Amino acid sequence: MSHPIVQSGPPAGGGAEAGDGMHRRSFLRSSAVLTTGLAALAASLSPLLELKDLTTLERFVQKYYKELTPEEMAKVLQRIERDVEEEYKVRPHVRDLKPMDGVEFVYALNLTRCIGCRKCVHACVAENNQSRTPEIQYIRVLKLPHGSIDMEKAQHDYSPETVPEKGFFYMPVQCQQCKNPPCVKVCPVNATWQEKDGITVIDYDWCIGCRYCAAACPFWARRFNFTKPLIPKERLNPEMAYLGNRPRRQGVMEKCHFCVQRTRAGRYPACLEVCPAGARKFGNILDPESEVSQILSRKRVFIQLKEEMGTSPRFFYYFDV
Amino acid sequence: MNAANKTAAAQGALILCFLALAGYFVLNPGGNGVHVQEVPLVDVAFTNRATARMSAAEVIRTEGDASGQDCYACHERDKPPKLKFNPDQSVVNAKEHMDITMGHGSHNRNNNCFNCHNETNLELLQTRDGKELKLVDSAPLCGSCHGPTYRDWEVGIHGRTSGYWKRDAGPFERQICVSCHDPHSPKFRPWKPAPGPHSMRSVAVQADSGHSTTTPHL
Repeated sequence: MSHPIVQSGPPAGGGAEAGDGMHRRSFLRSSAVLTTGLAALAASLSPLLELKDLTTLERFVQKYYKELTPEEMAKVLQRIERDVEEEYKVRPHVRDLKPMDGVEFVYALNLTRCIGCRKCVHACVAENNQSRTPEIQYIRVLKLPHGSIDMEKAQHDYSPETVPEKGFFYMPVQCQQCKNPPCVKVCPVNATWQEKDGITVIDYDWCIGCRYCAAACPFWARRFNFTKPLIPKERLNPEMAYLGNRPRRQGVMEKCHFCVQRTRAGRYPACLEVCPAGARKFGNILDPESEVSQILSRKRVFIQLKEEMGTSPRFFYYFDV
Repeated sequence: MNAANKTAAAQGALILCFLALAGYFVLNPGGNGVHVQEVPLVDVAFTNRATARMSAAEVIRTEGDASGQDCYACHERDKPPKLKFNPDQSVVNAKEHMDITMGHGSHNRNNNCFNCHNETNLELLQTRDGKELKLVDSAPLCGSCHGPTYRDWEVGIHGRTSGYWKRDAGPFERQICVSCHDPHSPKFRPWKPAPGPHSMRSVAVQADSGHSTTTPHL
């Protein structure tokens, strides 16, 4: 009974002598080719071993910002503090500041006063922990010839010995915190949204880095972390907010958020405090005594940049007339 | 050469090829391709919040060295100093006051010291209607000519503010006129601008010429 089974089975050890079967030597050679091939493949993939900071389980399973309970948020903030301390050896203070009731922020910038010194740009970088290499800057100061506001003639890389230059004026542009923000509409994962105090925020842990928002923004206000941001640890600002200036990762979007870590605690934004010309004004438009309310009720000429786009910026440029 | 030998040769070549590839990948002689040069850090002077100048009022307020402001170290009390004028009506600046640049008003028309200083008490200022003011309270004096700007300043439209926009959350500070404007020549002087956005391209050019360092700041 067993005879036919042996015959139909695979050749046993001595079966290598069969005409088209596997020879011992050719098997070894094929194995060697396979092994070296796999070794070459493994060697080519070895840089993946250096890939740290991909994600952690905690971060991977973290819920959407708006769904986090206060207890979960506290845990997330602790996790961020731990991560930052590990990376920068500085213990930060990370808060999740919520918008205040009865507050809507508005920014006003006096184009008569701005001298184009770019101090706001660098105060912002220092306050908001932006990457120094490559440089990420939320504010772009445009130099424009007198006579019109023609973006085609704007320069942002001017570097004269001294400013202001004769025949030019300067127009700093940053996120305009639109009332009708196109960047929010295009986000496929709702990682950016407008809060009730008018600030459009980004949850850096929810952003997938598709850059649709950057494409949608008419003001070129959004910045993308194409590489891992480089911040010297002695320049890290440890006073942080979840939706604000906590360090970002590679592959996420960021932009001006009116310094939520300061303004939601009642303070002025960093760019305003550093302006040597006093050209920058910020405050609560719902308070009739605030500087911005006074400006909007007393000054006569306003510009909402690219007003025709219909995004209704909360950022007003004005003149002393 | 039979088929078996051909296969053997091909397999041997493959093995050598794979070994060479593995060696290349591990040793990585070409580097990682993208080598990002460090952008130089911006001078922290560009992020300080100091006002455009240190006024005499500020020196007094912060109780700094105000010895330069002691008028009666040189002047005599009860003897108003006499002003001298050039033929073009500009005031002659005494050599003891050479640190002062006179240039107030268009065509420097406001060039009489006692338009603002009180001639009978040099430590005080005076408005044109005779009201005496201390140096630290100079804003209404400026406002006596610069009405619209003074109105703007009073409500916070003109000038520098810092601290808390939410007044009940913490202190806030509004700078006075002379914190930024030199009363003797109030126009803002030209500034050196902070560096503009750094193009990574110019870094590469620097690296070629051997002028930039690759030492990271971290």
